[in-house]
Amino acid sequence: MIRTTLILASLCATTALTAPAFAADPIKIGVVTPLSGTYTPIGQQVRWGLELAASEVNAAGGIMGRQVQLIFEDEEANPSVAVQKAEKLFDVQKVDFLTGTVNSGSTLAVGQTAERAGKLIATTVSFADSITTDKCSPNVFRVNARAGQQSTALAAWVIKQKPKAKVYFLGPDYEMGRSTVATFKKTVEALGATPAGEVFAPLDSKDFTQYFGQLRQARPEVLYTSVAGNDTVRLLTQMQDFGLLKDLLVVGASGTVTSQNIAAIGAAAEGFGTGVGYSTQIDTPENKTFVAAFKAANKSDPDLYGADSYGLIYFYKAAVEKAKSTDTDKVREAMRGLEWATPQGKKTMRAGDHQAIQPMYVVRVSGGQFKIVGNVSGEEAIGPDDCKRF
Amino acid sequence: MFLDYIQFVLAPQMVTGLSLGMAVVLVALGLTIIFGLLDVINMAHGEFYALGAYLALALGASGVSFWLLIVIVPLLMMPIGYVVERGLIQRVFNMPDRHVTTLLLTFGLGLVLEEGLKVVFGPTTQRPATPIPGAVEVMGVILPTYRMFLIGLGAAIVIAVALVVNKTRLGAMVRAAAFDRNMAASLGVPVERVFAGTFAFGVALAGLAGVLLAPIYSVFPTMGRDFIFLAFTVVIVGGMGSIAGAVVAGLVITQIQALSSLVVSPVWSDPIVFSIMVLVLVLRPQGLFGRLGHG
Amino acid sequence: MVDINVVEAKGTARPKRVIDRLGLAMRASHVLVALFVVAALIFAAVGVIQDDRFFLRLGTEALIFAGLALSVDILLGYTGLLSLGQALYFGLGAYVSAVVLKEVPSFWAAMAAALVVALVIGFLAGLIANRVRGVYFALVTFGLAQVAARAVYNTRSLGASDGLIGVPVVPIDLGVITVMSNSPAGFFLFTLGFIVVLYAVCAYLLDTPFGRVLLALRANERRVPSLGYSTRNLRLSAYVLAAVIASLSGALYPMLRGFVSPELLFFTTSGNAVITVVIGGVGTLAGALYGGVILTVLKSVIGSLTEHHLIVIGLLFMATVIFLPKGIMGVVRPLIERMLRGGKR
Repeated sequence: MIRTTLILASLCATTALTAPAFAADPIKIGVVTPLSGTYTPIGQQVRWGLELAASEVNAAGGIMGRQVQLIFEDEEANPSVAVQKAEKLFDVQKVDFLTGTVNSGSTLAVGQTAERAGKLIATTVSFADSITTDKCSPNVFRVNARAGQQSTALAAWVIKQKPKAKVYFLGPDYEMGRSTVATFKKTVEALGATPAGEVFAPLDSKDFTQYFGQLRQARPEVLYTSVAGNDTVRLLTQMQDFGLLKDLLVVGASGTVTSQNIAAIGAAAEGFGTGVGYSTQIDTPENKTFVAAFKAANKSDPDLYGADSYGLIYFYKAAVEKAKSTDTDKVREAMRGLEWATPQGKKTMRAGDHQAIQPMYVVRVSGGQFKIVGNVSGEEAIGPDDCKRF
Repeated sequence: MFLDYIQFVLAPQMVTGLSLGMAVVLVALGLTIIFGLLDVINMAHGEFYALGAYLALALGASGVSFWLLIVIVPLLMMPIGYVVERGLIQRVFNMPDRHVTTLLLTFGLGLVLEEGLKVVFGPTTQRPATPIPGAVEVMGVILPTYRMFLIGLGAAIVIAVALVVNKTRLGAMVRAAAFDRNMAASLGVPVERVFAGTFAFGVALAGLAGVLLAPIYSVFPTMGRDFIFLAFTVVIVGGMGSIAGAVVAGLVITQIQALSSLVVSPVWSDPIVFSIMVLVLVLRPQGLFGRLGHG
Repeated sequence: MVDINVVEAKGTARPKRVIDRLGLAMRASHVLVALFVVAALIFAAVGVIQDDRFFLRLGTEALIFAGLALSVDILLGYTGLLSLGQALYFGLGAYVSAVVLKEVPSFWAAMAAALVVALVIGFLAGLIANRVRGVYFALVTFGLAQVAARAVYNTRSLGASDGLIGVPVVPIDLGVITVMSNSPAGFFLFTLGFIVVLYAVCAYLLDTPFGRVLLALRANERRVPSLGYSTRNLRLSAYVLAAVIASLSGALYPMLRGFVSPELLFFTTSGNAVITVVIGGVGTLAGALYGGVILTVLKSVIGSLTEHHLIVIGLLFMATVIFLPKGIMGVVRPLIERMLRGGKR
């Protein structure tokens, strides 16, 4: 029975889509993002950002007169599911473009699927350097800032606050956590800081208190951490309970404290600093309009994921309008070196590695809100182009 | 230098290990009772723990004090546990391979509960405020007051539960029903209700653990997965249904974890726990203390 | 299903082959698998006519995961041992295959490597896991898989948390024809054939005295050694067989998708395989195949409709455990058995 349904479904799908594309047909953008599982809150921001931008674009006449249609699929933060859903969107829904992947494993795997299917994707969340360096793909673009950009901005600010700081590093014990720590360590040491020690806790650590003894013994002035999500809630609140936050500057990766966990961390998040590509506090008319619209639509503030996803629709719009086509090769050419406007300011897609260049901000939690305390220009933060595949 | 090591590294490690140990014991307590007395593997135990934490969060937000929550939440969990036992577990209780069947059934229940929590309470992490803030310093080792309180309260709960199971008439009925169902029934023990009541009691304990641990470990839909492997290990190592076994195993295993992480990378703490479990199973399959009600 | 009389039945077997209850059940499974193959061939034909890619490749994935479910069924259905960590061998096969293919793009080399690794690791892990029974076995297998997943997740040379991408498309030289692993219909048919061969091997082995004694063991653990069989060797053999089946199925995964990631070893993968077998029908082998397709279709359809698909699948699973303890095969297979018996008499 189920087979028949399947066949029928495939029949319908194919007949419906072999019809030639009319100018009035919508442009379809597939979104493969975690709507269930641990990363759900991030998927939610991605969805809100994309939906807001799409409705704005549609209200203003669409892209080249064609409406934008978003088609969502749940990837469960699992690359195997992400790839399967991506194929569905490419082959059955015939989407023109795809985005939404969150964890870097999914982005890399879906990127390869896109490359083999001759389609383009962009990530608005994954910040692993590898995506636009050694594992770069001609079919993958990244509109958000990568780990390196975040580190550069943050390190410069830390050194300004505490020259020759003694820095302690605490990360989750897996590849991403370690490489994020390594990147920051290298950058901050080059600026004159001294490392006071480092420890890596298992991912999804229940209790960080066992490392607090070593931390106290090292007597650092600055703590850098690359833990994320629930782990941050536990780390910072447990540090507060143990009285460790006094006289310690705590900084971290962009995913460490976010709009999803800041409420749960509460007062323990006070003073936390990080380097990001977006803050609701950016004082431009564009950003104020964006924040107001986002809040009106979703009853929640945008965070960097929401903002980067919002900006992506305008990136794609600009590229398609420049290429006057949705054809993969033409759009790719148009995307290279493209400059477009976002609530975060002007972004430029570097042609050499498909990494967006954008101004970076250092933000610090004050009164439960991120306040901008410093910024670095896009050119300063971007770092070398290490992509050798194209 | 050596004293420094004890003060800053060894002592905190052991004390925080103790507080983690008590947390694990609290979660394992309900599990071992259901396991030992009912011979049922409750894979949804972690989700009941999460449910307790969410109930505490929701009620706490509407103004119920923490002290009241410690009483109310377990009371609310009781009927839920009772219904689950009568409505679900009882249906498969007499099928062959009870272990496997109940494991599968509660595994499905866990999936549904976890997703249900997300639908109702949203996917983001939340955290109730620490009921007793502040910290005390004992010989240079800093300890948050709430954790000290938790270690004390945990010990009291364990003793109370042990007394109920081993010294009361109710406990005797439960143990009799677990040991020989038919014999107990013929002696006038309402076996089915006793079983459902025992399950409800175990679920209530899971909920209580949720209330107590939420301020430390925060609340999110998948939190049930956190302690469950450790709790199962504790139950197996300690001996199914043995309360003393769960306490000893829980405290010893977390100490081993805490101290070993000083010498080897913390990433190996799971494999170490696992090796302990396998070792105990191979050398003493009934666990350190043997099964409750079975001598 | 499980019948202690089988051992006696074997002992008193007359020279003419007697089809006992188990033999009949196995024949019914063969019929069901034959029906499955026919349906799959029709599906493939329609797919080719429609010039479909997605559904054929989704079907291929369903078959690959059905192979994993088959290995769970060998343990659960024939030895009564529930493995909560069968993803260990599936992931192992997938990673070994991916690593080999990235070095030498040879199908047979990848499969041989996956086979050898599964034999070795399966034997070693089996020595540990088979020291315990029942729920302890479930937890030990769960723990083994967790440890392995953790190790892969932290190993930089295996791509750590990102996994390995860039597994090339490989030609599968079958002597008569060569199938490319990126040909939707070709690889679907190949996988179908491959899984049917795995099924046939399992069915053959489990229909021999080996399988019968396994079942007897499941029914009465104490009696079997007194009949002169070594309990330990039997269990270990079943465990290694299941490991090999899971590993070989897993080895096909990177050929289909071009990458592997540590999620393949996670509990979700093991859990899905268990759900598959329970829905399909424990101890039927054919149930794993049907269950695999049903679960994949369910996930694909419900997953696109609501993000809370786990609730639906969880409820469905619970309902199966309570109301259909023998799964879908428990309903369908007796019908086939009746037809087969009717045909004989």
